[in-house]
Amino acid sequence: MDREQREDLARRVLAFSHADQTEVLLVDREASLSRFTHDAIHQNVASADLSIAVRAIAEERTGVARTNVLDEASLRDVVARALAIARHAPADPEQPALPVGAPPPAPAEAFAEATARATPQLRAQICEDIFRAGEAGGLWAAGYAATERGGITVVNSNGARASFDGSDAAANVKMNGGDSSGFAEAYDTDVRRLDGTLLGAIAAGKARESAHPRDVEPGPWTVILEPAAFGELFSYIADHFSALSFDEGSSFLSDGLDRTYLGENVTITDDYAHPLAPGMPFDFEGFPTKRLALVEHGVARAVVTDNYWAHKLGRENTGHALPAPNASGPQARNLVVSAGSKNAAQLIAETKRGLLVTRFWYIRTVDQKKAIVTGMTRDGTFLIENGKLTGGVRNMRFNQSILEALCRCEFASELSRTGGYSYSVVVPAVKIENFTFSSGTGF
Amino acid sequence: MVQHISAAMSFDSTAPRALDTASARGAVYADIRFEVARTERIEVRNGVVATLSDSTSRGYGIRALVDGTWGFAAASDTSDAGLDRTAARAVEIAKAGAAIARRRLGEAPPKAYADVFATPVHRDPEDVPLNDRVALLLEAERLLHAGPQIGVGRAWIDLWRTDKYFYSTIGSKIEQSIRQTGCGLQALAVGNGDVQTRTFPGDIGLYASGGWEIVERAALRENASRIAEEAIALLSAPQAPSGVTDLVLGGSQVSLQIHESCGHPAELDRVMGWEANFSGVSFLELDQIDKLKYGSEIVTISIDNTMPGGMATVGYDDEGSRSVRSDIVRDGVLVGYEMSNDTARLIGRESNACVRAESWQYVPMIRMCNLSLRPGEMSFEHLFDDVRDGIYMESNRSWSIDDHRLNFQFGCEIAWEIKNGKRGRLLKNPTYGGITPAFWNSCDAVADAASWVAWGTPNCGKGEPMQSGRTTQAASPARFRGVRVGVGYGG
Repeated sequence: MDREQREDLARRVLAFSHADQTEVLLVDREASLSRFTHDAIHQNVASADLSIAVRAIAEERTGVARTNVLDEASLRDVVARALAIARHAPADPEQPALPVGAPPPAPAEAFAEATARATPQLRAQICEDIFRAGEAGGLWAAGYAATERGGITVVNSNGARASFDGSDAAANVKMNGGDSSGFAEAYDTDVRRLDGTLLGAIAAGKARESAHPRDVEPGPWTVILEPAAFGELFSYIADHFSALSFDEGSSFLSDGLDRTYLGENVTITDDYAHPLAPGMPFDFEGFPTKRLALVEHGVARAVVTDNYWAHKLGRENTGHALPAPNASGPQARNLVVSAGSKNAAQLIAETKRGLLVTRFWYIRTVDQKKAIVTGMTRDGTFLIENGKLTGGVRNMRFNQSILEALCRCEFASELSRTGGYSYSVVVPAVKIENFTFSSGTGF
Repeated sequence: MVQHISAAMSFDSTAPRALDTASARGAVYADIRFEVARTERIEVRNGVVATLSDSTSRGYGIRALVDGTWGFAAASDTSDAGLDRTAARAVEIAKAGAAIARRRLGEAPPKAYADVFATPVHRDPEDVPLNDRVALLLEAERLLHAGPQIGVGRAWIDLWRTDKYFYSTIGSKIEQSIRQTGCGLQALAVGNGDVQTRTFPGDIGLYASGGWEIVERAALRENASRIAEEAIALLSAPQAPSGVTDLVLGGSQVSLQIHESCGHPAELDRVMGWEANFSGVSFLELDQIDKLKYGSEIVTISIDNTMPGGMATVGYDDEGSRSVRSDIVRDGVLVGYEMSNDTARLIGRESNACVRAESWQYVPMIRMCNLSLRPGEMSFEHLFDDVRDGIYMESNRSWSIDDHRLNFQFGCEIAWEIKNGKRGRLLKNPTYGGITPAFWNSCDAVADAASWVAWGTPNCGKGEPMQSGRTTQAASPARFRGVRVGVGYGG
């Protein structure tokens, strides 16, 4: 469905409602993914769906109902259900009026027609390019190539109107040797910029160069975390920038803004218009998303809000709402960590003894307030001696406070987009002193 | 639920059209799985109903097999044109994969079934007025505010109804109506420069297949004050020690341990490298079957997708295989895997029906489904008798394990020291870690069936695109000797 069709449908649904206030959110998404192992695609999938969520507010009571059945009766029913649910809900006097704003245009690069029209043959070609890169060296690969397009429209009875069309493409690979592995990934809104051969070559190089890994002792190490590793680590403090975490006391920022929490070289923004991750200029309430400095030179400057939390805390609405109903609070969706001045190769060259980490795995919070997390290295961990990579090491478990790490770090000058199933961030590689590893593995 | 939407629904007339289209386009086998999912979530946060929502999602997924290669396409458009387009798309996707494949991994399922299955429901949630459902949570959440230290109280109920209609070109026609219910409480206490959380029941709530009887069994109101008081007490409790000691785990934590260190590594797709780039591989390699001493002799872990109350209890899995019971670990030795048709065939076995899709939008894949640790002989209270110096931990708070499923580190919300066979003072921030086989080989007691609970997990992540699975790990509390504790806090 194109933008005009979505907006027509949203307005039609809105007109069915007799609630005091009504919001209609349409999400139209078509996603495809080809996943391979060894030398064959084993999961090759596509799905298309258009769902409608209706939030009805009547006498300070809120109900939400959703459907993806689009006939007239079902659309009327979803509106009636939202209102019926609202009538059963207790009144919430703190609930503000639904917001109205004028979102700016989306970044031009947020949507690429080539991605929206990508074929299974194109995805298969990217997969083949990747796994062919390992065949000559006796390696086997596992990974995927994915494309998607999405359209989002939000309207409400107070006059809000917002629509966005976006696309995204991604590929990754784990290249496997007898006792080693290597990883590479790429994300782009335009599938034409995904280079399977390059990804395969990077991952194969890491697998070859980390072969015959040696044991090193757990303990404090100087580490250089490549963007995939640092991005996943960093994503574990994303929640701390939410007004909800800030208010309930579980955020490291809860002691107050305008205080220094991190190193003076740490600047963190939330920026939907960053060229590496261009995205939606409004939130799921249709309110404009602010490009926000969250931390400037180590000093906390802001938390992200939505309509409810802005009203509750008496702060500006920064436009970071998730779809209603949302008990998780507002979320930063486009986090960016500013780059440093030296490139990653220089950071390695200046390291007398340390570890280069390609990727982490299964990071989980151990202590929320101190932001202590644990996790494992995987798919390419290297020893650095006298400024050079001198071979692979067996994987290790770390336990580390992210806050403490960000007080003794140095960022590389190149930025990359990295991500996982629950996050997407733009970060540089980073060098961290005294990063604590607590145990090892046999692989 | 506000209404029944699918009680009289039938896809008998539409399914053949999609399957015929797939066959005409070149599929040697195809199946279609229609689903109508109704979900309701109510969540109360600090006296406010933060979530009260009702969702309907209807659609279908088509699998097409071409030249030994699968394609899958899903859509919500149930018009004739939509069915044709989606079936053709599944075939086109399969052909694109076949064109580059160096190996053929797929074959048609070996058996067809015509059957009906419905989850037994003792009390239909729809018979409980919405006002009463909301009132229960408001009351339970209010009871969480046992002191000013409670910054956040939460209480929630999830009601899920999924009706599935499976048809295949080899003649399967399976209708299933699956009902799942869950609920829980959580108190977050803030003070002394610290934040502590307690959750009930277990670490995620009580989730099972069935109806309102699960909410009644959870006894949220009856336990809310105790949970909140524990959260407050943790703020001033001493830090759990670091070192090597004996460990008793509560049942829900044993459930988590089974989930992460047995359920996931026994997924045969993972063993075969199909999950290598994301979820990882497995130390339970094929040459270890019937050899690896996974645990001590008292450790027997089974798959039982017929288990009453299991979150994964169905009549048939999502590729049309009938639910069965089978062992993964028998008397401490690795003897089996969780399997699909294709992976089972590749090792000369038959599927044990461990294939699920999150919803109609997703391709079916291997999931751990219902696992069960065989109860022991000893009562829970007697697990402590033989512990001179140890720790008892309950309710998971943190969980991490490597991509081979060997090196793990888990943390719990709450612990008590054990001294000379007795539970002693409260301890905060307990953690423990180890290597999977060594840990399970250190298990020297599992509590008896009186404390055995089928703990449901509503949100197990696996696959790309990521799918959330609903699993159960039934377990009693258990005792482990010589475990490293306090990792992450100096240990």
